[in-house]
Amino acid sequence: MNRLLLCAALVAAPSTLAAEPPTAIVGATILTVSPAGNIEQGTVLIQDGRIVAVGADVKVPAGARVIDGAGRFVMPGIIDAHSHTAIEDNVNECTDSVTAQVRITDVIDQQDVNIYRQLAGGVTAVNVLHGSCNAIGGQNAVLKLRWGVTDPAQLVFAEAPRGIKFALGENPKRANFSAPGPRRYPATRMGVAEVIREAFLEAKAYRREWQEHEKKVKAAGPKGVPPVAPRRDLKLETLVDILDGKVMVHAHSYRSDEIVVLIALAEELGFKVRTFQHVLEGYKVAAEIAKHGAGASTFSDWWAYKLEAHDAIPYNAAVMASKGVNVSLNSDSNELARRLYWEAAKVVRYGSVSEQEALKMITWNPAWQLGVERWVGSIEAGKQADLAVFSAHPFSPDARVELTLVDGVVRFDRAKDTAARNAAPAAGGAK
Amino acid sequence: MRSALPWLLLALAPAAAASEVIALVGGRVLPVSGPALDKATVVLRDGVIAAVGADVAVPKDARVIDAAGWTLTPGLIDAFSGIGLPARAPAGGGGASASTAPDPLAAEQDALDRIKLADALKARDGGVTTALVVPAEGIAGGRSVLLNLAGETTEALVWRQPAALHLHLSTLRRQYPASLMGTMAWARQALLDARHAQAEWLAYERNPKGRPRPAYDAGALAWQDVLAGRLPLVITCTRLNDIRRALALGEEFGVKVVLAGAAQASEVVDLLKKAGRPLLVTTNYDPPKAPSFGFGGGPDEGTEKAQIEAAEHNPAKLHAAGVPFALVSAHGRDFTAGIRRAIERGLPQDAALRAVTLGAAEALGIADRTGSLEPGKAANLVAWSGQPFAKDTKVKLVFVDGHRHEPEDKPAGPPAEGRPRAGASEEVAR
Repeated sequence: MNRLLLCAALVAAPSTLAAEPPTAIVGATILTVSPAGNIEQGTVLIQDGRIVAVGADVKVPAGARVIDGAGRFVMPGIIDAHSHTAIEDNVNECTDSVTAQVRITDVIDQQDVNIYRQLAGGVTAVNVLHGSCNAIGGQNAVLKLRWGVTDPAQLVFAEAPRGIKFALGENPKRANFSAPGPRRYPATRMGVAEVIREAFLEAKAYRREWQEHEKKVKAAGPKGVPPVAPRRDLKLETLVDILDGKVMVHAHSYRSDEIVVLIALAEELGFKVRTFQHVLEGYKVAAEIAKHGAGASTFSDWWAYKLEAHDAIPYNAAVMASKGVNVSLNSDSNELARRLYWEAAKVVRYGSVSEQEALKMITWNPAWQLGVERWVGSIEAGKQADLAVFSAHPFSPDARVELTLVDGVVRFDRAKDTAARNAAPAAGGAK
Repeated sequence: MRSALPWLLLALAPAAAASEVIALVGGRVLPVSGPALDKATVVLRDGVIAAVGADVAVPKDARVIDAAGWTLTPGLIDAFSGIGLPARAPAGGGGASASTAPDPLAAEQDALDRIKLADALKARDGGVTTALVVPAEGIAGGRSVLLNLAGETTEALVWRQPAALHLHLSTLRRQYPASLMGTMAWARQALLDARHAQAEWLAYERNPKGRPRPAYDAGALAWQDVLAGRLPLVITCTRLNDIRRALALGEEFGVKVVLAGAAQASEVVDLLKKAGRPLLVTTNYDPPKAPSFGFGGGPDEGTEKAQIEAAEHNPAKLHAAGVPFALVSAHGRDFTAGIRRAIERGLPQDAALRAVTLGAAEALGIADRTGSLEPGKAANLVAWSGQPFAKDTKVKLVFVDGHRHEPEDKPAGPPAEGRPRAGASEEVAR
């Protein structure tokens, strides 16, 4: 109770708005994905978009909006670490091997209905990535699925650090399809590695140029004639930010050799890979991935859809996790994104991952991979109230999402959705 | 007295103003700047409007034109036009550049250099006297020119050159930028490069000793005009979010942005009111589409139909919301049909007329010299056989700088791209 009051005070303090009544989900099984584990007959209390209390003995204040959780399961909102949802126009800027200057935040489409559909699958945050056309692609956007906002900027997960897409193997070397136009360098894996090295050497020279300029500005003093600043280059600026640890690298990868090569390259050049994406052969080099400190965001059981995906096994997630890698399960697909809870269930079947660990792979682990684990990824007091309320345990084949909350706001409500569908006039085709 | 006149003309060096005095007598006059006048007279002298009113005396030296039964309006201004330019590849949404197209990323190019005089002058047949001619191709296909459609040479038509710099939020194929995010990044870099080039030259001119000569960059110079506020940056918006993108870019670099196209503008009225600048709103409701590269393909037929429908209602909604705008052809083939469609979709007649005359002049910053029938303004005028833009109304006479043009009496021109559709006439009655 003391803890409850303290947290409530912390959260309510900065709000200048008239206090909204709190929301309480009561009587549910709460899968906290925290050290508190699962709580039977529990209550989650939400105020001003934050979770203020979780437990079996939480008192619901008078005037609270109560959501009956009897028979239901509440889990942290699902986080998809690999998405291309809500992108307007091309997902790839394919014209060059390095396009670090382009930003997904420029092309977010807040009206993409897939946002809503994914809410119906309990997803509350997604990592919207540039495509895998080039060795160094564009900057990604971490979004909260606040369906209904009119300004795309309102979807952006404000606390999330910046990130960027890298890609290795067949896609950047453009080996598994016939790309239009003249062939673009690189056409081999060694070429991909060389492109990345070259780009960062150029970025280092660019950083030196600016450092020297700043020295000259200092030397000139406040009264002297300042030297002309070097040309700002948005591409190199981004690469410098990677070197300075301000931008997280998410590297599309399949084969173990290319994974090891990128780790070596990153350590040589002085940057970190935050996640390997897809990483279907990650099980072969899990120790190396763990040692670098990178996470791995993989599929549960997709494979053989191209040559470099042939050596995949459904035990990949389990093996990597057992070697100490932070593992998440992603969708890379508007369709699969709606059923990520079943993707997590599969790793219980393949590899006997514990229920808690499997849940983590679609919540806390991807939150860590995107650098937002302080705010989301588990049901704990003080965190943002991103929650999914299921009709049954999310790993059950019967499970359906009943409610999805983002920042404490109900963004999907199955009962309301059904009522609206029933009330809507028949579509034009249904005569 | 007579012999002194040629001297005077030379000294004033007017573009090509007609030295004639013309009085249009007995017509219904819609000055746009004021209330309609029945059986009124308009006097044009030396290319300028001399008098407008119901009790204006006809000067003795005037050539009198009986305008009884006609409606007289200011000349139409198409503030985003393709007149006189060669046919183009689909733009405003990507697509390959035609072989005749200029460099898609060279803001320093001038539409003026590609205008064919005879083609440009054809626009008068529809009552257009003034046009901002905008290169359609590419991302930054060049600067526009403001023309008044009277003269023997292309140069003689020029009213303002260059008039604006243009950025289309479109994409290229097989060439950077081939994505919308690339286009945004390209535009940012272009503005940064312009700033940098300016700083380099400034430092060099201040103290050239010991400095290498900076590179000459025509593109950077063109963008510098935008940075310095000498030229407006007109950004073509084809998607709803393009409006936000355009405004954000303007804010990021502190430049004056004019929104063009903006078929979904009525969905973001508050944003536009805050921006407080007239828009150039398209009447080309169904422009040719570029192939979609989006993740999951382009819109289905139903969605596309809804989009066209929404674009047609856009002007009426903007008007109702009190957002100032000009209606523009946006490279559509039949401007009149586009205006008529906006009226059919609820835009009041007088608002439509204003949006292609005084409203357009305001959007272009030329309302002090044209856009309404007021003494002192350019003698740009259209005489219509009836209600302007109505289906069976004909343009009887057009005056540009006082020069008379009589459209050939011919059947209506080719229909606009896909418009107008059958079945629209019932709504006219409403």
